[in-house]
Amino acid sequence: MSDKKFDKNSKKNVIQFALMLSVICSLLITGAASGLKHFQQENIKLDKKANILKAANLIKGDNKPAKEVILKRYQNHIKEVMVNQEGQPVKNKDDNVLQLYYYHTNNVIDGYILPINTKGLWGKIQGYLAFENDGQTVSGFSVFSHSETPGLGGEIENAWFRKNFKGKKILNSQNKFVSVGIAKGKVKNLPKNLQDHYVDGISGATLTGQYLSEGIKSTLTKYEPLSISFRQKSLKTLEK
Amino acid sequence: MTNETTRYKEILLKGIWHENPVAYQVLGICSALAVTVKMSTAIVMSLALTLVTAFSSMIISSMRNKIPSNIRIIAELAVIASMVIVTDEILKAFFYDISKQLSIFVGLIITNCIVLGRAEAFALANKPLDAFVDGIANGLGYSLILIAVAFIRELLGAGECLGYPVIPSVIYDAGYQNMGLMLLAPGAFFIIGLLVWLKNSISESKK
Repeated sequence: MSDKKFDKNSKKNVIQFALMLSVICSLLITGAASGLKHFQQENIKLDKKANILKAANLIKGDNKPAKEVILKRYQNHIKEVMVNQEGQPVKNKDDNVLQLYYYHTNNVIDGYILPINTKGLWGKIQGYLAFENDGQTVSGFSVFSHSETPGLGGEIENAWFRKNFKGKKILNSQNKFVSVGIAKGKVKNLPKNLQDHYVDGISGATLTGQYLSEGIKSTLTKYEPLSISFRQKSLKTLEK
Repeated sequence: MTNETTRYKEILLKGIWHENPVAYQVLGICSALAVTVKMSTAIVMSLALTLVTAFSSMIISSMRNKIPSNIRIIAELAVIASMVIVTDEILKAFFYDISKQLSIFVGLIITNCIVLGRAEAFALANKPLDAFVDGIANGLGYSLILIAVAFIRELLGAGECLGYPVIPSVIYDAGYQNMGLMLLAPGAFFIIGLLVWLKNSISESKK
């Protein structure tokens, strides 16, 4: 009688159960991942555009407008361009080409937006840093993706941190390039001559700040020729 | 019928208070440190964990007569991990902004001992519906501690409550300063320790 009873611990059942569970779980996960990929990529693209607009102050604060609004504003105000090492616009994409965005009103360039792609404490930090068309004043900053500790380093994506970048200069009083960085602590405690080049740090996230400062500096160094051409006012309107 | 309701009530009370996962079972401490800097993240984490514990307990309980005991932990983990991953994918596809806010927390749920602990200790020996209620109860018990810790940390560490400043600037002008320690992990250790003490002394005095 008892040999007919179901024995869940028999070798046969162990193997059967393990096989079935793995197949079901993997099908479920693959299904979800590949079935939803299209939607996810759409979201990521939209979020990138929203953050480019945020850097250029075309979206204020932490809110996110509806999809149509974002797409329309992006189309009207943002143009993706490529420049070579000397800061001259080019058409063809190759390895030495730098990518950036102009933001404009009716084809008059208001400024430019650089993609920031740097190492953070736990992973990559990707964001955008926007400049006014004088080639030295920061007009905004935004973060598109990061893996910093939420509540500490993760604060870099929030409006209170980002808004401090507005108005900072990357040139010192002698017109020398000094970049813009994240202070350790509050900016008001720094010497007067440095206050224009630092934003308030986040307590408990000193390392995130350091990595971000380094990343911003190396990006800005790379794009310096372009910034120079903006300082010389040689770029004013979009080329047709 | 009345028997059923009293039983559920008992399970709920046990999970939320008497055998509170953080204060009594001492599970889920790592995430209680990580996500309690701000109330908003603590609330989202609580919600996510409560749902995952409830549903994974229910699924595991409904398979409890089939799961071979020598591979049961692997089986439990497979169920929990698949559920969390699928939830994460759905969030990314349809609720992108929420999923960005949650960031690594969703993944952290898999490693949260409460989920596996309840599957091991309760779901394997009880009926699916009971296991579901037990999951909810333990999730709420976890939420209770988590939100209490987050409230204290955010208030003392940043002077805010749910992101709104609550400490008037007059007090800052008088020399008051936010307590930086509260934003770091040690601050959470102290508060959790104090809360466990508080909970256990209340329970003790009732005996």
